[in-house]
Amino acid sequence: MGGRLVQLAWRNLWRNRRRTFITMTAIAFGYAMLLFVACLMAGLRWQMIENGTCLVMSQIQVQAPLYYPSRLIQKTLGGGQGTDVNALLSVITADRRVYAAAPRAYGYGLLSAGHRSAGVELMGIVPERERKITILNSEIIRGDYLTARIPKGVVLGDKLASTIGMELGSEIVLLTQAADGSMGNDVYTVVGIFHTGLDAVDRGLVLMSLPALQELLQLAPTRIHEVGIKLNDITAATAVAAALERQLHKIVPARARAWPELAPELASYVQFNHAITFVLFFIFFLMAVIGVMNTMLMAVFERTRELGMLMALGMRPIQVVMLIIAEAVGLAVASLVVGGAIGVPLLWYLQAHGLDLGGASGEVISLAGVVVGHLWYGRQDFPAYGEAAVGLATTALVSALYPAWRAAHFKPTEAIRKV
Amino acid sequence: MSLKYWQKRIGASVLGLGLLSSGQSLHASDAQPVRMTIERVAHLFSSKSSIATVKMQITNEDGQRNLSMKIWSSGDKIIVRITGPQDEAGIAILKEGNDIQYYLPKSNRTVTVPTSMAMNSWMGSDFTIDDLVKETFLARDYSVITSFVGQRGGIAVYEYTLTPKPDAAVVWGKVVLQIRQADSVPTWQGFYDEDGKLVRELTFSDYKTMGGRLIPTRLVMQPADKVGTRTTIEYEDIAFDVPITAATFSLPNQK
Repeated sequence: MGGRLVQLAWRNLWRNRRRTFITMTAIAFGYAMLLFVACLMAGLRWQMIENGTCLVMSQIQVQAPLYYPSRLIQKTLGGGQGTDVNALLSVITADRRVYAAAPRAYGYGLLSAGHRSAGVELMGIVPERERKITILNSEIIRGDYLTARIPKGVVLGDKLASTIGMELGSEIVLLTQAADGSMGNDVYTVVGIFHTGLDAVDRGLVLMSLPALQELLQLAPTRIHEVGIKLNDITAATAVAAALERQLHKIVPARARAWPELAPELASYVQFNHAITFVLFFIFFLMAVIGVMNTMLMAVFERTRELGMLMALGMRPIQVVMLIIAEAVGLAVASLVVGGAIGVPLLWYLQAHGLDLGGASGEVISLAGVVVGHLWYGRQDFPAYGEAAVGLATTALVSALYPAWRAAHFKPTEAIRKV
Repeated sequence: MSLKYWQKRIGASVLGLGLLSSGQSLHASDAQPVRMTIERVAHLFSSKSSIATVKMQITNEDGQRNLSMKIWSSGDKIIVRITGPQDEAGIAILKEGNDIQYYLPKSNRTVTVPTSMAMNSWMGSDFTIDDLVKETFLARDYSVITSFVGQRGGIAVYEYTLTPKPDAAVVWGKVVLQIRQADSVPTWQGFYDEDGKLVRELTFSDYKTMGGRLIPTRLVMQPADKVGTRTTIEYEDIAFDVPITAATFSLPNQK
C-alpha cells in the first residue's frame, strides 16, 4: 500500500508539469543558494581562524601553568630547571592530530638603533620548526627569514624598521631585563623585514633564534616559555589541547590552550558567523514553506473531485493525508537533487578559486583584526549541507500538513460533484 | 627664596624620590608651617652638586641581587655608574635635561631611553628609572596639605598629603609623606593609585650625618602587592657641593 501511495504521489506530481516545475525550480535554486552561502560562511570561518592563528599565535600554545597572563620571563616550562625540550616536543608530535610543534621563548626589551629606540616584544624561535606552524617566513618583504648562518640576526616588521630608521644589515642594540634581573644587552643585525598588515606585529615584534634570545635573557637552553602547535584539523583544537595537557603532565606541569581561548574575539566571530548562517537558513525555509504550501493547496483544490472519488472508493482520510505529504516530500527531494546538481560545481569553484573581493585594486580585507586576504575562498561544510537538505525536506512536510488536512476533511458526496 | 632658586636645587637632587622637590610647594601652599617644614626637607639632599656611593639590594622570589653604584649630580645632570657586580660594571645611566641615556659596555653602545619608559623598573629593582634620575616636580604637579600632626611609633611627626593638580600628567593618585617634627628628616613615603590604594611604600631609616647633613642612609622600597619583594638602598658616602668637571657627565659615544 505504501509503495502504491508513493507511486501515485509521484504520478500526481507530474500531472501538472508546469506548476511542479516552477516550484521545483524555486526550491532547487534556493537550495543551491543555501549551499553557496554555507560554503562561503564556512570558508570565512576557516580563513579567519587560519589567518588569525597562522601569523604568530599558532593553534595551540603549551605554557607553564602560571605563565599566562603575567608572562614573566622566569616562568618557563618546568620552572627554573627548565625541561627536556626534545622530549616535550616528541610527546606532543606523537599525537596523530598534531601537524607540527615548535619551541619558543619571549621577552620584552628596548630596541635601539642610532638615536631612536622603541619598546618591542622579543620572540625566540627555531626557524625550521617555526615555519611549519606559522607563516611569518612567507611574509618577508626584504632580506631573509632567520638562518643559522647569522646567529645574531633578527627579523622585524616594516613599520618598526621605518620608525626607527633601520634597513637590512642595520646594527641594533637590544636592552632587556634578563631572568636574573641583570641588564641583558647585545648587538644584533637586521637580516629580514616582514609585512603582515597587522599593525601590532609590524610595529612591535622582533624575531630571533631561540638560543640567541635565551642568551640575552640569561635562560638556560632547557628553558622555554611555550610550544606552539599546528594541527591537521583546526576544529579539533580544544579537544587536542585537553588531551595534550594530560599527556604532558608526565613530563612537566603544563597548560595547553587552544585558539578559542587564545583569541576569544576569533571564537566569538565564529559563533557570530554560525548565527548569521542559521538566520539565512531560517529565512529561506520560511519562503520555502509558503511556496510548497501554495503548490500543494492548489493541487488539492484542483483535484477536489478526484480526491472525493478516491475516498468514495474507500480511501481512508489518513491515506489522503499520506498521499499529499508524499507529493510534497517528493517535490522537495526532487528539488534537492536538482539544487545539488546546480550547487556542486559552484561549491567546487568557490573552494578552488574563491571570490575576488579586492577586485583590480588587490586590496587586502581584514576583519576583527585578522587579515582575510583579497580572495574569499569557500570551504565545504557537509554538516551544513545536510542540515539544509533535512531542513528543506522537513519544511516541505510541514507545509503539506495544512493542504493534507483540508483534503482529509472533504466529504466524498460533495467533493465528487465539484467541477 | 625665589622659585628659580628652588628649581635649580631640585634639579640637582640625587635619588630625589620626588620628595625633594616638595620645596616648591611653599609657593603653592599658604600654610606657613607646611612651608617651613617642607623647605627644610627640601634642603636635605638638594645642593648645587653631589657625589654619592650607594649600595642597592634587590630581593624578590628569585633571590637577591646586589648592585653598587656611584652617582654624580650637578645642575640638571645626573650620572649613575654601576661599579658591581663584575658583569654589569661599567653600565652608566646619564640624565641630562629630559633625555635619559644608557651606556652598555658589553655592546659598546649608547642607547636613548624613551621618556615613556621612565616609569619602568630600574635594573629589576622596585625603583623606577624616574625615581633614580629624573626629578618629579611634586610641587608643580601636586597640591600639599598637612594631613596629620602627632605621634607615630613614638615619634612626633608631620604627615603631608600631596594630591595631583587637575591637569597634571602624573602617575600617582596621591603621595603621602611623613617627616620627623624634631629634625624634618623623612620617615615614610606612600604612593597611592587613583583609587586611593597603596601601591608602594618607601621607608627611611639609619639617620647619619654625612656630608655635613643628617640624612636617612637607608631607604627601603616595598611594593604593596608583592610580599617578599623589596629594594634597599644604602648610602655609603655622600658629599655635597663639591666641584665636578663636565667630563664626568659624558658617556663614550660610539653610536
